[in-house]
Amino acid sequence: MATEIKLPRLGQGMESGTIVKWLKSEGESVEKGEPLYELDTDKVTQEVEADASGVLLKIAIQEGEVPVGQTVAVIGEQGEDVVLEATASGPEEEQQTEGSRGPARDDERERGRQASAEATPAPSGNGAGTRTDGRIKASPLARRIARERGIDLAQLRGTGPEGRIVAEDVERAEAAPAPTPTAAAAPMGDPEVVPLTSVRKTIARRLTEAWTVPVFQLTIDVEMGRAVALREQLVERAGDGAKPTLSDVLTKISASALMKHRTVNAHFGEEGITRFPSANVGIAVAAPQGLVVPVIQRAEVLTIQEIANVRSELVGRARDNKLQRGDLDGGTFTISNLGMFGVAQFIAVLNPPQAAILAVGSVEERPVARGGEIVARPMMTLTLTCDHRTVDGADGARFLEDVKAFLEEPGLAL
Amino acid sequence: MREDSDVFLMGEDIAEMGGSMGVTQGLLDEFGPERVRNTPISEAGIVGAGIGAAMQGMRPVVEIMYEDFLTLSAEQIVNQAAKHRYMSGGQLKVPLTIRTQGGAGWSPGAQHAQQLEAWFVHIPGLKVVFPSTPTDVRGLLWTAIHDDNPVLVFEHRLLYPVKEEVPDELEPIPFGQARTVREGEDVTVIATGPMVHRSVEAAVEAEKNGVSVEIVDPRSLQPLDEEALVASVKKTNRCVVTHEAVTRMGFGAEVASVIQYQAFDWLDAPIERVGAKFAPLAFAPVMEQFIVPNSEDVLAAIYRTVGRDGN
Repeated sequence: MATEIKLPRLGQGMESGTIVKWLKSEGESVEKGEPLYELDTDKVTQEVEADASGVLLKIAIQEGEVPVGQTVAVIGEQGEDVVLEATASGPEEEQQTEGSRGPARDDERERGRQASAEATPAPSGNGAGTRTDGRIKASPLARRIARERGIDLAQLRGTGPEGRIVAEDVERAEAAPAPTPTAAAAPMGDPEVVPLTSVRKTIARRLTEAWTVPVFQLTIDVEMGRAVALREQLVERAGDGAKPTLSDVLTKISASALMKHRTVNAHFGEEGITRFPSANVGIAVAAPQGLVVPVIQRAEVLTIQEIANVRSELVGRARDNKLQRGDLDGGTFTISNLGMFGVAQFIAVLNPPQAAILAVGSVEERPVARGGEIVARPMMTLTLTCDHRTVDGADGARFLEDVKAFLEEPGLAL
Repeated sequence: MREDSDVFLMGEDIAEMGGSMGVTQGLLDEFGPERVRNTPISEAGIVGAGIGAAMQGMRPVVEIMYEDFLTLSAEQIVNQAAKHRYMSGGQLKVPLTIRTQGGAGWSPGAQHAQQLEAWFVHIPGLKVVFPSTPTDVRGLLWTAIHDDNPVLVFEHRLLYPVKEEVPDELEPIPFGQARTVREGEDVTVIATGPMVHRSVEAAVEAEKNGVSVEIVDPRSLQPLDEEALVASVKKTNRCVVTHEAVTRMGFGAEVASVIQYQAFDWLDAPIERVGAKFAPLAFAPVMEQFIVPNSEDVLAAIYRTVGRDGN
């Protein structure tokens, strides 16, 4: 008996995934639990295991975006016949038996069917959620506006409940008309359009969301002599472990300060502000596929060496695009360090619902006044971005004051 | 009553006791036992006597202690009061006002807490009003008494303590005129009775989250100010309909139908309905609260219309 392999829901809120490649080919035998294909979701790329044993009889979707629950392959016994239901091309027989309907709706159905047929093989995923059954889901208002302004709903992507196209989507489409091909006007070579990956889309969506949050920034200069010396000692003693970096020291220091300032170690939500008993510190990592923020859980109970080990493992997985969803969940605070690029200071965009994010600049010798003299000291500038709904200015300032004190005298963090 | 000696009251315990909810307190002293009359416990008799007096030219105001007991006078209301003017070719008039109260929220139990206004909106020949504020009660009651047709005035037990400044001059409120309780841009909440107040709470909360809510109270359910409701929805493009009565076959079903038909091309989301769960009302306060809609239910519906989950 053949088993249809359907796209699983791998986490809350997952509506679709993009099949990147198959690790088995048709005709190959597969054991239950063996990796079957690679799937790109909005958070991570991961291998999906076969949920049945047998022969991979048919790969229904070679690659591209697939809604959760759709059949992507069939596993069964050698020689078994495979009958796949038409999943994406539209239930045409069903439509004939449904009886007559107005010509306008027939036209629209036809358009929807064509659009879905066009959309299926292309992994663009654009608008896929709006026409899973060949019908375009749009609100009456959206339909009226589209009709009046001559906008083709099939070209739009719905952002309403269950992917419904709502008025805002139509208005947005009109405001930003689809780029018309203007090859003749590009004398220096054609501009390259890089299709949005799931990760890129998530970055775009989340950071745009973050932009709506009322934030303020606090900046402080820290003398880094002792922190740098501490790090050097730790590197000497690292042995087989990962070499601790200044970021690891910062993670530990921040975690200690967060435990003292719970208002900053918080999430904002409509029902209230959640304060966390542990500091789960996210570290912004520039992975090849884009920005990801793996989380070091319970950093306040880890030693700097332990933090370095965890961080090294997470960053390695991020670079190899092998992060699991669990690696990214539960962050209560984020650190973004661009010091290694020589950036002196910058402002990080909040990572909602977290209350704050710390932007770390480079350590560099700067002239500072000490006891009436100008002296050169290793200095670093920290900029804390706070969600003002959760954190007031003084709360953020007190937190930052302690981070500075702990970095200048790491013993205080104990 | 001071203006018109044809106006008189009948009901259970309305005279010396001043009504079980105290609504008629003091009226016996001023107008005497001829015009403020206690009746036996016979709801059919109360309404029947009222119909007779009305057809003879009086303007009786009768009280049914709980709207649940309207069931006992349904024959008189539905088959007699609503029909005489039509069946007599206009020779008879029934200028009768039937006041009643009901509603949950204080654990009166399954037989004393229902909201049955929708039953009577279904009967041609009756007018039905459901005021939610002191000003509206006064203005609508005045209009009910002066109307030449039978009118049911539904009051809600929990709204008796509502206080507000009312104008010195009585301002009659014509039937079929909705009141915009609050102006907003993103979604219209059409609410009656106690849900008006609960919707205001929800609107204040939604506002904090950047959702601007308009609230419209139809006040009179029959006749209904369709124009005002439709105009509001055409402005906001989204609609929540709410009442304390059971959702199934409730008055909101009629409102939703009016809106979807007259404002179909203006709707950007399905019309949401918020009402009581389909269950007899429980005595146990916690169970009663579970069944009856509250401001959070309205808020959740508001968020659904704008495609947010509230977080």
